[in-house]
Amino acid sequence: MENNLSDVKQRVKRYWYTDGIGELIGGGMFVLLGIYFALQEVLGQNSTVGGILQASFALLMIGGAFISRRLVNSLKTRLTYPRTGYVEYQVNERGMRWRRILAMVLAFVISALTIVFVRLFQFFDSVVAVTGLIVALILVVLRAKSSGLARFYVLGAVSLVLGLGLSLSGLPNGYSLGLFYGLMGVCFFISGGLTLRGYLKENPLPAVTDNEQ
Amino acid sequence: MSNDLRRLTELDRLIHEPARLLILTILASVASADFLFLQRETGLTKGNLSAHLSKLEEAGYVKIEKTFKGKLPLTVCKLTASGQKALTQYRQQLQDFMDKTA
Repeated sequence: MENNLSDVKQRVKRYWYTDGIGELIGGGMFVLLGIYFALQEVLGQNSTVGGILQASFALLMIGGAFISRRLVNSLKTRLTYPRTGYVEYQVNERGMRWRRILAMVLAFVISALTIVFVRLFQFFDSVVAVTGLIVALILVVLRAKSSGLARFYVLGAVSLVLGLGLSLSGLPNGYSLGLFYGLMGVCFFISGGLTLRGYLKENPLPAVTDNEQ
Repeated sequence: MSNDLRRLTELDRLIHEPARLLILTILASVASADFLFLQRETGLTKGNLSAHLSKLEEAGYVKIEKTFKGKLPLTVCKLTASGQKALTQYRQQLQDFMDKTA
């Protein structure tokens, strides 16, 4: 038996990312966010549609997260579970509470950092730079470290470089933010697409889809 | 031989078998997993895995349910509370033995 018992937990965690479906759907969300920010810049804050867009941001995010979750589940049910099996992950209530607190603290730190950067460095777009840093941190801490998958380190590095690069581009805030999310979405698509292609190639659908004992 | 070392003979033999230990370790790190996933992760044949799961189910360590995910039929396995307790105890006993013989 080749399995190293201490590695079992990480292998099980990594299984969620084995098909790239999460990245494909996440990429779609990023592209939509990119379009949202670019549209806001095009329409301007004083236009009615721009105002509606701004007011409905939270709704769009919650709706997007809900639809993404359903899409991921639906695609996994069609593609992944019949090929390599189904896993339901443990939900640690205490861990979730800590995550929520951490998210709130993070949101506060981001806001504070953005204000400080805007005042200190007016020559560069600090919002995009901070966004790039936060996305990179999320990818490295929550994805790469827990799963041990190298592609998330690469995506984290891309986010950092893209955020810094676009912050120095001199583009209006909405466009640079839109471009950041759009390009990150494309990177997610490429990463997820390649992973899914490899996964489907390696794991053809079993001839008998009998899952019974 | 000291009593501490003699306790090794008290190890739960049902869990001590490598394939069953692997099955329980996988199930301990998830809420539930289906037959196909366990088969792929353990590398066991269908018949072998089925036999081991039956033994674990008989002992009350694992609960097996036949269910559906969408239209996909699944045989879902879950570690029970007594299974979790037995696995923890087994690991503790083994750890104690390792500590005392190191």
